[in-house]
Amino acid sequence: MGRNSAIKSFDPARETGQPLDLFSGRDARRPVIVELLRSPWIIRGSQVSAGTSGHSGKRREEEVTVVWDGARRTPAAFQLNGRRYSVDALVQTWTLERAWWDPRARLSRRCFRVLARGGLYDLAYDLLTGQWLLVGIVD
Amino acid sequence: MSGFVHLHVHSRFSFMDGAADLDALIGRAAALGMPALALTDHQGLYGALRFYRKARAAGIRPILGAEIVVEAAGLPGEEGDLPPENRLLLPAPVGFGRAAGRGFHLTLLAKDIHGYRNLCGLLSRAHVRSAEKPSIVSLADLARHSEGLLGLSGCMNGEAGAAVLAGLGWRAEEALRRLARCFAPGDFYVELMHLLTPESSRYVSGLAAIAGRLHLPIVATNNVHYVEQREFRLHDVLAAAGARTGLPGPYGRQNAELWLKPAGEMRRLFADIPQSCDATLKIAERCQLDLGLGAFHFPSAEVAAGETPYSTLAKAAWQGLERRYRPVTPASVSRLQHELSVIQDLGFSEYFLVVKDIVDFARSRGIRYSGRGSAGDSIVTYLLGITDADPIRHDLLFERFLNPERRQMPDIDVDFDSRRRDEVIEYIYKRFGDEHVAMVATVQTMTARGAVRTVARAFDLPIDEVNALSRHLPWVSAHRLREVLDTYPECVGHPLKDRERYGLLTELAEELSGCPMHLGTHLGGFIITREPIATWMPLQWAAKGVVVSQYDKDDIEMLGLVKMDILGLRMHSAISDAVELARARVGVDAVPEPFELVPDDPSVYELIASADTVGMFQLESSGQRNLAMRLKERTFEDIIAAISLFRPGPLEAEMITPFIRRRHGIEPVTVPHPAMGEILRDSYGVILYQEQVLRVAQAIAGFSLAEADSLRRAMTKGRSREEMEKIHGHFVTRAVGLGVPRAAAEEAFRQLEGFAAYGFCKAHAACFAVVSYASAWLKRYYPAEFAAAILNNEPMGFYTPRLVVNDARRHGMVILPPHVNASRSLYTVEDDGRAIRVGFRDVHEMTHRLLTAIEHEQDVRPFRDLADFLRRTRAEAPAAESLIRVGALDGLGITDAGRPPTRDELLALLPEMKAVIAREGVAGDDVLVLAPATARIPEDPTHVSGWSRARRLSAELEIVGLSLECHPLALARSDLERRGVTWARDLPKLEDRTRVRVAGVRERAQTPRTRSGKRTCFLTLEDPTGLLDVVVFEDALDRAGETIVKHRAYVVEGVLQNNHERGIAIIADRVEPYVVRTASGTPVRMRRGVPSGPMGPSLGGAGAPEEESWAAAETAAVYNG
Repeated sequence: MGRNSAIKSFDPARETGQPLDLFSGRDARRPVIVELLRSPWIIRGSQVSAGTSGHSGKRREEEVTVVWDGARRTPAAFQLNGRRYSVDALVQTWTLERAWWDPRARLSRRCFRVLARGGLYDLAYDLLTGQWLLVGIVD
Repeated sequence: MSGFVHLHVHSRFSFMDGAADLDALIGRAAALGMPALALTDHQGLYGALRFYRKARAAGIRPILGAEIVVEAAGLPGEEGDLPPENRLLLPAPVGFGRAAGRGFHLTLLAKDIHGYRNLCGLLSRAHVRSAEKPSIVSLADLARHSEGLLGLSGCMNGEAGAAVLAGLGWRAEEALRRLARCFAPGDFYVELMHLLTPESSRYVSGLAAIAGRLHLPIVATNNVHYVEQREFRLHDVLAAAGARTGLPGPYGRQNAELWLKPAGEMRRLFADIPQSCDATLKIAERCQLDLGLGAFHFPSAEVAAGETPYSTLAKAAWQGLERRYRPVTPASVSRLQHELSVIQDLGFSEYFLVVKDIVDFARSRGIRYSGRGSAGDSIVTYLLGITDADPIRHDLLFERFLNPERRQMPDIDVDFDSRRRDEVIEYIYKRFGDEHVAMVATVQTMTARGAVRTVARAFDLPIDEVNALSRHLPWVSAHRLREVLDTYPECVGHPLKDRERYGLLTELAEELSGCPMHLGTHLGGFIITREPIATWMPLQWAAKGVVVSQYDKDDIEMLGLVKMDILGLRMHSAISDAVELARARVGVDAVPEPFELVPDDPSVYELIASADTVGMFQLESSGQRNLAMRLKERTFEDIIAAISLFRPGPLEAEMITPFIRRRHGIEPVTVPHPAMGEILRDSYGVILYQEQVLRVAQAIAGFSLAEADSLRRAMTKGRSREEMEKIHGHFVTRAVGLGVPRAAAEEAFRQLEGFAAYGFCKAHAACFAVVSYASAWLKRYYPAEFAAAILNNEPMGFYTPRLVVNDARRHGMVILPPHVNASRSLYTVEDDGRAIRVGFRDVHEMTHRLLTAIEHEQDVRPFRDLADFLRRTRAEAPAAESLIRVGALDGLGITDAGRPPTRDELLALLPEMKAVIAREGVAGDDVLVLAPATARIPEDPTHVSGWSRARRLSAELEIVGLSLECHPLALARSDLERRGVTWARDLPKLEDRTRVRVAGVRERAQTPRTRSGKRTCFLTLEDPTGLLDVVVFEDALDRAGETIVKHRAYVVEGVLQNNHERGIAIIADRVEPYVVRTASGTPVRMRRGVPSGPMGPSLGGAGAPEEESWAAAETAAVYNG
């Protein structure tokens, strides 16, 4: 059975209704969410207003502690407000290199959009300061 | 499958966009183990041939291509016809100059030679179709000429990419479908770029999905613009400056990912779709372009029916032999036979016939020309009338020109009368056809100034600041910027030294060193081909309105095509003018053709030997005048030697001193072997000429002349120690085998090794010497005509018109000021060759219309007064004011005081007269009486102008750039004599090493590179009695550099050098500014206040404007010694 079979077998015309639970559990749900998040055709409401700023959803910028997975070259977990967030999946990465000619406005970051505890978080490693930052939370 | 090949790569030849250096690109690709690499610059193949050669040398398969701009494919009509929600924003224009196009991008790669030729054709048609229309390839043209080409859908600025990003999937799909139809099945790929931006995932998966639906193959690329990631700043700077915007530039790049990433990195980005990376390797395999370098492709020469190119050439040469040699000598016959057989063996007959065709045309139209360069070594070129120096008489060697052992494209350069060069060019286009002739490009690279301006513009600095930063920077390579700022005296106080403010700017400017900046047009290089040129290379419009190739001369040579230098030489124009003026005065038969003179007139040599050479071709520079004083030329061979000695090579090898010492018997002439004595007789045992290297190798080691030329080349070009050891062993063994003592052979080789790289081509010098002698002869016998001709062809030569005028005055000629009833547009000769009348061409504010009007009205009747002049010529007020101020209306009209009006009165009358003429159409003669001007009291009532001498001189310098009445320093004669200044004419009488103080106006300041690496400034100054050569060594230059740069006249203190070995010069230890003041204390303006005459700086004749400000000179510390 393919990982999206639950969605594929969904039939809105079925009068008898659907099985109550599309997914058997958290692990079954994750690939579907990632697939949806990566889909080129779906733009989340929170992303619409974000434009090309590189941030999306609720913007915030605070320092976080990140556990780095060297083998997979992704964050493995991060600490936010005293809670540990394990990264369930890496959704997307991008880099930023802006205003390099202006020392006051310069930005040089490598960003990771990760899925953790059911939420979507944008983490950024600042190459200038060597710090990890949480730069966005997408619902 | 592993590995990756970058197929979308921009080098620095994507002008003002790409930051990747070709060598670095290839080096990096080789280091990464990539089997192939593509080059896809914007809108052209500018760097393609060098890339092709270098990549092959590095063992990497070169894939040639281009990123072109193509018309929209995803919609039926125009972009503007669509509803707003379906429109796409067109990307910023890309491409250089008139090859720039604004539209969607498409990447093309040449699979084979058909593809290469189609790509050249597509680009040429897009660029040359119209000079005004932007360069965009049409889909129809692409579909017709896509054989041998692979298409990649392009970057985010490709139509499909842009549509996906805009959420217009349908449009992307339609565009890809239609583009794919332009190519053979399987030859069109959907290009995927994962540039690590927030949109990248959506972009890649969107395009991949459409490609899947359309069953099109996909390929991964990275839009490479720089080699290493850290170079991203250069790309941003170039793109911003190129688009004339500030940073972040037209693309607004979000990150720095456009670098040449290793295969692993690229495969990680496309981990989900590895087939896109595999495709790069497959495409590289499919691209097997072989340009077939090494073959020659000559244009077609006109050959009569039943003849071959060789037979035609041979017949013409034998006819030339009868004409040039009377009687024909056995030596000339055997020489001609030998050369013809070599030319036939090498298959170069057509080339000679093409050159002959062109010079025959020039001769038939009376256009003066002369061949030069190593072509002068050939008797065939001499007999065909291409060159004028007899190769047998001057012992010139054919093998130096054409080496039978090395099949290299011959290079015959011909200089034509610059004024009539266009006629020759027009003939070439007519004779060979427009599609077969194009001009050669040059690639202009960034110097320190260009790099600083580029970065400053990208930083969006105000234009005044940009100018301030680039001004006063010497013409050096940008990578030396910080060194120059730290060490050069003229950079003391330069704003760029503020490291805190400009540190980043300076650093980036240094990194831009040598970066191609734009494509220029070669001064006179033409490509002539048998097939249409567009099948060989892309063409485009140059800024100056001619069709130019995208390749430079080296590329063209690599392709084996014929390039001819049709250069303009103003000296030819001047000689023609001088002859015409002289013949007009003394009769046609009285003045022989200067190029046909037997060069044996002692009085001409006397003139040269006295260093009285201002205006003479190749003999007038300060270095040559100094050399003339030491050399004392007596024969034509001496002129050849003088031209050869004062060249970078002989100067660097310090050949002049032994040459002079031996000539004057100060040191003995010694040679290692008697055979060398005869060969080096003319140069006193010094190996001065390249031809002598060949002769020595032949005489000592028994080399054939062809072998000897190969030896010379090996010793000259990039010689390594190992190679030299090998050559050394070979030379000595062969010499000893011929019975030459080993010690003599070793010494002969040592001398060859020392001088081979520095010798000068004697044939080149001999060709020049013919022109030099002709100019010297004219100066000797027709000095007024010669000076007028030089002035009429300015800018030319070493000196400014001001100095040429002063030189004429020193030779007893009267310099007559411009006058509306006597001057024409050009300089003329009056008083039976004793006076030169200044023409109107160089007068400030003069217009073409007014020039024509004045000449026309002069032919009707003379002008009576200012009103008459204004009415008949309709002179514009600024031009009329200039003419009044320079004295061109002096003495015309009469005031109620019964005398002609002064210049002040004329100036005061001018506005009212102009107003009357404008109002009524006619200004009567009585205006002058009716409206008496209120002007100040004449400063000098004895002069018709009413102006003092100083004021007249200031006006002359300002308006025509000349001092007509006297030298500016003549006004300060008493002040300077009081200060103990020695005049130039008195210096030869003083002892060597006398301490002197001199004063002069700067004519030239040169700081050539010296062997020691130290900076030395050679100043040529002029005082009322002659020229002064001043040498400022580095320690003195440190103190005086700024003064030299910022001022015009100086008082110099130093030690006189006056001896046989070194000639006359002043070794300066103090240079102070000097401001010439009149008795009333008014400073005399020493510079021209205007850019030029009516024809702009290049043709105005009075030289370019000077940079230093008058205010600076005014406020400077004035010498008060």
